[in-house]
Amino acid sequence: MSQTNNVYLQGTVVEEHHMLTIGELCQACNAEPAHVHVWVIEGVLDPVGESPEAWRFVGESLRRARLAQRLSTDLEINPSGVALALDLLDEIAELKAQLRRTNL
Amino acid sequence: MKFKDYYEILGLARSASADEIKQAYRKLARKFHPDVSKVADAEAKFKELGEAYAVLKDPEKRAAYDQMGSQWKSGQDFQPPPNWDAGFEFSGRDSAHGAGVDSSEFFEALFGRHGRTGQRGARTAKGEDHHAKVLIDLVDAYQGAQRSITLRMPVQDADGRVDLQERTLAVAIPKGIRAGQHLRLSGQGSSGFNGGPAGDLYLEIEFNPHPEFRVDGRDVLFDLPLAPWEAALGASIAALTPEGPVQLTIPPGSKAGRQLRLKGKGIPGTPPGDLYAVLGIVLPPANTDAERDSYRAMEMAFDFNPRANLTG
Repeated sequence: MSQTNNVYLQGTVVEEHHMLTIGELCQACNAEPAHVHVWVIEGVLDPVGESPEAWRFVGESLRRARLAQRLSTDLEINPSGVALALDLLDEIAELKAQLRRTNL
Repeated sequence: MKFKDYYEILGLARSASADEIKQAYRKLARKFHPDVSKVADAEAKFKELGEAYAVLKDPEKRAAYDQMGSQWKSGQDFQPPPNWDAGFEFSGRDSAHGAGVDSSEFFEALFGRHGRTGQRGARTAKGEDHHAKVLIDLVDAYQGAQRSITLRMPVQDADGRVDLQERTLAVAIPKGIRAGQHLRLSGQGSSGFNGGPAGDLYLEIEFNPHPEFRVDGRDVLFDLPLAPWEAALGASIAALTPEGPVQLTIPPGSKAGRQLRLKGKGIPGTPPGDLYAVLGIVLPPANTDAERDSYRAMEMAFDFNPRANLTG
């Protein structure tokens, strides 16, 4: 069934407007709460709040959590390996951005 | 339909042990994973690997696959023999590992297309969230835009069978959105289970490459070539920004590589990004006598050694 609306759907920008609970983050990434828990311990994600129920993740966590989820399921990497891979990928992205700024 | 040789895809002999299969998969998956690979067709290649692994790591699926015999070659026309899977029970009928519902025709003919079944049953549950990438132009981020987006989305029917359906959504792209950000459309994911709410749809934003403008987060940069006299003496130069033409004042003594900042003229937002003109100096060629004389006159006029800093 194909559906076409003439009304434009209005979305919200996750990175600008949202703090995510662990439930919302798991739902959006199709990840297990236990995995998110371990990623927080390994420093992949850095929520505010003391307990898992009180955790709030900044919008940017969505990208990181999805990447962590893909790396751990697709490559069967353990959580500390995921943390290392994410750090290195961030560093590569930063270096690429610097190269692009100077147009090299 | 073409036959797929899952052993060949993983570079294995048909006698490979479970450990060898796992090792071969992990090695190739690292090489071709779209998040880490620089290979051009990494995504397609990775899907193929995931599918091969989903079959060969599962003893039942592997046995059923092996039963078809070793006479088949990759790419050969293929129809599954009748009752080929008689006697096999594929427990936990999941989709291809890592490949989502996007498995090949060959895989689906053998093992069916199966969605996740975990959330079905009597429980009321929210539908799955979905993700898609959307390419927009840089100017859309400056002005906002309306876009029609066509997605192929898995839809699960009452029997739990999953089918890909095409949906066209008209979406407002908000002004100020940046590459890598996610636009959340509430309730546009999969339908809920047993009256639960529908999931959400997340659109990840990417910019189409622009021939002149480069983007870094909120900041936008472009190259501005100058003649040597413009750089040395200063000038007022017309330049085209994503928001239209502006007049730029080049200060005297500008060096190549210097960045002129146009504060707040990057991608809009709170705070807005900045727009940078990256100065370059282009030497005019000396083709005519008059042009060559000009360079010689410069040589006479200047006491200039460009290598003054070299100590060698």
